Amino acid sequence: MDQLNVFHYMHKDSVIHRMDCRIKLGCMVLLSVTASFASTWADFGILAGVFAAALLGSKLPVAALLRELRFFAFLILLVFLVHSFSVPGQPVQSVPLPGLTVEGVTSGLTFAGKLLLIIILCVVLAGTTPLSLLGKAVEWFLRPVPFIPEARVATMINLVFVLIPLIFSQAGEILNAQKARCVERRKNPVKRIIFLAFPLLFQTFKKADDLALAMEARCYSEKRTKAVFKATPVDWGILIFSAAVFLAVFFVT
Amino acid sequence: MIILETRHLTKIFPDGTEAVKDINLSFREGEFAVIAGANGSGKTVLVRHFNGLLMPTRGEVLLEGEPITKNLVRARTQVGIIFQDSDSQIVGQTVAEDVAFGPENLGLSPEEVAATVKETLESVGLSHLANRRPHLLSGGQKRRLAVAGVLAMKPRIIVFDEPFTGLDYPGVVQVLNQVLSLHRKGHTIIMVTHELEKVLAHADRLIVMHGGEVAEDGPPGEVLGRVGRYGVRQPYGNRPVETMTWIS
Repeated sequence: MDQLNVFHYMHKDSVIHRMDCRIKLGCMVLLSVTASFASTWADFGILAGVFAAALLGSKLPVAALLRELRFFAFLILLVFLVHSFSVPGQPVQSVPLPGLTVEGVTSGLTFAGKLLLIIILCVVLAGTTPLSLLGKAVEWFLRPVPFIPEARVATMINLVFVLIPLIFSQAGEILNAQKARCVERRKNPVKRIIFLAFPLLFQTFKKADDLALAMEARCYSEKRTKAVFKATPVDWGILIFSAAVFLAVFFVT
Repeated sequence: MIILETRHLTKIFPDGTEAVKDINLSFREGEFAVIAGANGSGKTVLVRHFNGLLMPTRGEVLLEGEPITKNLVRARTQVGIIFQDSDSQIVGQTVAEDVAFGPENLGLSPEEVAATVKETLESVGLSHLANRRPHLLSGGQKRRLAVAGVLAMKPRIIVFDEPFTGLDYPGVVQVLNQVLSLHRKGHTIIMVTHELEKVLAHADRLIVMHGGEVAEDGPPGEVLGRVGRYGVRQPYGNRPVETMTWIS
């Protein structure tokens, strides 16, 4: 599972890779808000076009990423099904299933579509932006906010993403070791979760401890070198375009 | 010239375990020392005192005659430690980011950080992997990345804690070549290992620890015959020390 690389940075030479990270983050926020408010087919059409262009323009391996996205298919399907059967309205005539309504299906498609768009946006952001730079952009945005230790927040964001693949890898190893001792014969799922959780927690805390020690050995400090950001006219152009998409979805369609 | 020294170094953990007891050691500049000992003999605890990651219960550590407690940042830049588990040392999402971590902590300018990263990656032969995810590197490459992360701090003393653990033959050779190259460049090398047959031919000195104390300390040829008493395997029977290397 540590090979799950859909949310990992991939080095390429593209306009989106080269963008000023602050502006990229701003565009992402704008487009996520836009996606979360999309409600008509026209909204989805515009956003799908923009996101597809971003994905292709980023030069990320689209086919491989879409294959990785199959892990989210279950979640998207679940959202669709829950909405389809829980929203009251007119029953679907052609599919006489109890609880299934036209309004529910429409709502399910809308929410599933939003979720898919936001996932694609996150893939583009994560695939084109090194995490340290993302952390530094967050730090830059937090600098004027009082009482928030922006450097610490940036480090925490960084470390979470560094530890996630390690935790997955560790979980895989523990599971394999337990399978080798026929853990599948245990029918009680709670016990199986406990068998996995305890060693995993122990190993995770140990790894976090080791990482903290290694950081201390390399003079970790919150007074670190600050990133220097430089926005180009292309970056501003992309921000203006994102704002235009936002306005189009909100006020035009 | 003595570069690093411990005086009556004792460490007692809160549970009462006396991990190291009254250690008096000194290391000359440019020396290559190997510290061996059975599991739990106190090797790792000892070296973690060298740059102030652990503080002694009694005694002190001196860097060029000055107690390290006077300036911990100096101690940590001058004494680099490469830990046993490379994965746990990786802080960056790319190889270059990871190497930049130390220089950024020292507050160097972005240009200086970039130059240091470039120079360091070139010196360990990882320039072509600068944008690669560290967790996907091979064991030997990860160990070299850990070395790069420490070298970026420009240390004079480099401590390797069990550098060969979990590495295959090419990985061991890569790491060993790296260590020897650093030694040739004038770095003082302190290596904690019980795999003497891989490295002893290159060492000036062998220190054996037993029960938290220094049991033996001297030229490898003199000490080697007695290591078996302290739970360290004497490699290849009675073969000469000069044959104890994995570099042909």
